[in-house]
Amino acid sequence: MTRRLLGLIRKEFAQISRDVPLGFILVWAFTAAIYSAGRGRATETTDVATAVYDLSRTPSSREFLSHLQRPYFKTVAYLDREADVTRWLDRGKAAIVVVIPPDFERAVDGSGQAHVQVLTDGALAMPATVSIAYIAAISSRYSIDVLQRRNARAGGEVAAAAPTLDERLRVTFNPNMLSAWFASLLELLNMCTMVSLLLTAANLVREKERGTIEQLLVSPARPVEIFLAKIIPTVILVLALSGVSFTLVLKPVFHLPIRGNLVLFYAVTALYAFAMTSMGIAIALVARTIAQAIMMMILILQPMIFLSGAWNPPEAMSPWMRWISLLSPLRYYIDFAFGVILKGNGARVLAWDIAGIAALGVLLFAFSLLWFERSLRTSG
Amino acid sequence: MHSRLFAIVRKEAREVLRDPIYLGLAIVVPVLVMSLLALGFVLDVKNLPVAFYDQDRSPLSREYMYSFTNSEYFRLVRMAGNASELDALIASGEARAAVIVPPDFSRRLTRGQPASVQVLVDGTFPSRALIASGYIAAIDAQFSARLVTAWLERRGMVTSVLQPVTVDGRVWFNPSLETKNSLVPGLLVISLMFYPSLLAALVVVREKERGTIFNLYCSPVSRWEVIVGKAVPYVGLAFFVYFLLFGLSVFVFDVRFVGNPFVLTVAALLYIVASIGLGLVISVFTTTEAAAMLVTFVALMTPSILFSGLMTPISSMEPSAQAISRLIPASYFMAMVRGVFLKGLGFRQYASDLLTLAGFALVVFTIATLRFRKRAG
Repeated sequence: MTRRLLGLIRKEFAQISRDVPLGFILVWAFTAAIYSAGRGRATETTDVATAVYDLSRTPSSREFLSHLQRPYFKTVAYLDREADVTRWLDRGKAAIVVVIPPDFERAVDGSGQAHVQVLTDGALAMPATVSIAYIAAISSRYSIDVLQRRNARAGGEVAAAAPTLDERLRVTFNPNMLSAWFASLLELLNMCTMVSLLLTAANLVREKERGTIEQLLVSPARPVEIFLAKIIPTVILVLALSGVSFTLVLKPVFHLPIRGNLVLFYAVTALYAFAMTSMGIAIALVARTIAQAIMMMILILQPMIFLSGAWNPPEAMSPWMRWISLLSPLRYYIDFAFGVILKGNGARVLAWDIAGIAALGVLLFAFSLLWFERSLRTSG
Repeated sequence: MHSRLFAIVRKEAREVLRDPIYLGLAIVVPVLVMSLLALGFVLDVKNLPVAFYDQDRSPLSREYMYSFTNSEYFRLVRMAGNASELDALIASGEARAAVIVPPDFSRRLTRGQPASVQVLVDGTFPSRALIASGYIAAIDAQFSARLVTAWLERRGMVTSVLQPVTVDGRVWFNPSLETKNSLVPGLLVISLMFYPSLLAALVVVREKERGTIFNLYCSPVSRWEVIVGKAVPYVGLAFFVYFLLFGLSVFVFDVRFVGNPFVLTVAALLYIVASIGLGLVISVFTTTEAAAMLVTFVALMTPSILFSGLMTPISSMEPSAQAISRLIPASYFMAMVRGVFLKGLGFRQYASDLLTLAGFALVVFTIATLRFRKRAG
């Protein structure tokens, strides 16, 4: 059995290696695509493009505005006319415009209240909410300074200190909040998902389309062997390419720290790849052409990738969506991979994720194998 | 000459129509995927699980905690008994942020001295960490401002106005700040890049794999007739899907739409032609359907999601990323779709973007035609 299986596996590898564009895109997917994802900062809410419309033009207003700093804000323009406010927001050149009222200094130096307006582009919902929170923090801090000054001016004793909160922020696991770590690792996980599913399904459907599956059937190989020979090469390929990605991109370029056990990572990645390739076989059994298979895969892949919890936190999902996402192996895999690589968690903390992948993997594997055997028998 | 072109169009159209499963999937899948994402994808960060370690246990420290739990942004997971418990909660992901209140918290503050609080934020997902730290900074600053005001009042200074500088945040174009208003138009852009190019990417390579390409090699049709003829039925199909998705967004998901549907339709048509053209380029260059499909996923879908401004505004990107985004048709269409849907902008503002899309379509079709050789090997 092993010799036949090895022969079949060798045949699959030969087929993949002779498809030059395919080999090229596989390497590209695990190197250049991951590099560009890491550089693309796709999930960033920093550097919000800020335009300033300062009607006050006084030292006070400039002092207030000087608090709009990186990494949260990136001042892109000082506007002169009201029409410019609309133009910059319309064209999306600025995500927010901060308007300082003409009476800003008078209000601040006197005893009044100044209303700073923050106009945000609601077409970009995330940066809009976050930047308002940050500006609210800035204005509260600034208000404290103003109150102190007023107190001193009113003849009150100048206090050396005030009862304020001194916030010591520590960001764990990624102290500089480098989105490159997150984005590049996420891209690797997505690539593992896509390649496992697409390659397996495309391979099997092609054999069906060309009728070469019949040749395999009349060969002495048993259905289990044919089945394993279809998924093992993809699993090996995904593991090898992940290794390439770690050594060529993630470690040397992005300096991604690997805090956990890489052996554990690869072991669970293999398990995950088994689950996804089995899913690929199931799709290939239903589809009659590659084009049909692709549409079915997208129906599974796109929601899986978007609802994996990487783009939007699971706690923000609606309850029924959270239930659905429990059926997606990618959800556990992302949680697992970030836990083991960035957080350095061990198998015990991640037991739940590993169990999820294993359970779904066994289900998919058994289901596809049984179905595969049955459909071979009926077609043969 | 024209009859040859029409013959190819007819043949391709028939091929699509005679595979009802494929045709059905090509129409139903984008609709289903968009519905699922529009219903399930929430980008706002609310109910962030937060844990506290209160070493002070005073009325003031409790009041401080209430300022977190009373906001819709945080949800208390647990009161920890020691610092290592907090670390464990963050490591396991049960809490995304944690606050340590020191033992001298209320003593220092009531004496008019600053007190330090330690804030831990899980940085695994940087955007979430930034949002959490932004909310925490806002809560801390507000709490401080309240303390200072009360303290000054106690010391005899009459503070007539509570806070000297207030911020009045106004959200334009999407006043209720609903995720769907910014997300669903974005999904329209991604869908119309993805599905049409994927359909087109298989068109030529399929004939190569099946060997039927030789029929074309030895027929009198010219190269451009093959490329254009194969494109037309798919442009029609994608255009039909565009109307479905547009109707779905506006009438079913009730996305704000204040612009001119005609402008959007013209832009969509150009964009669809461009993405079909890109698919054909992939199809001409590859030799197997599997490869064509992977190239479409990796080389088209990924950059379109990352660099089009779907998640991060292009204005926030670094210059190099902005340069990439200018090379992708999705970024032009993204700006236009959001502009027309939410901002009510029209031809006047987008004339140059429409021309860019048209130019892009022309270039990809030229590349596809030139690379399509009527020669084996």
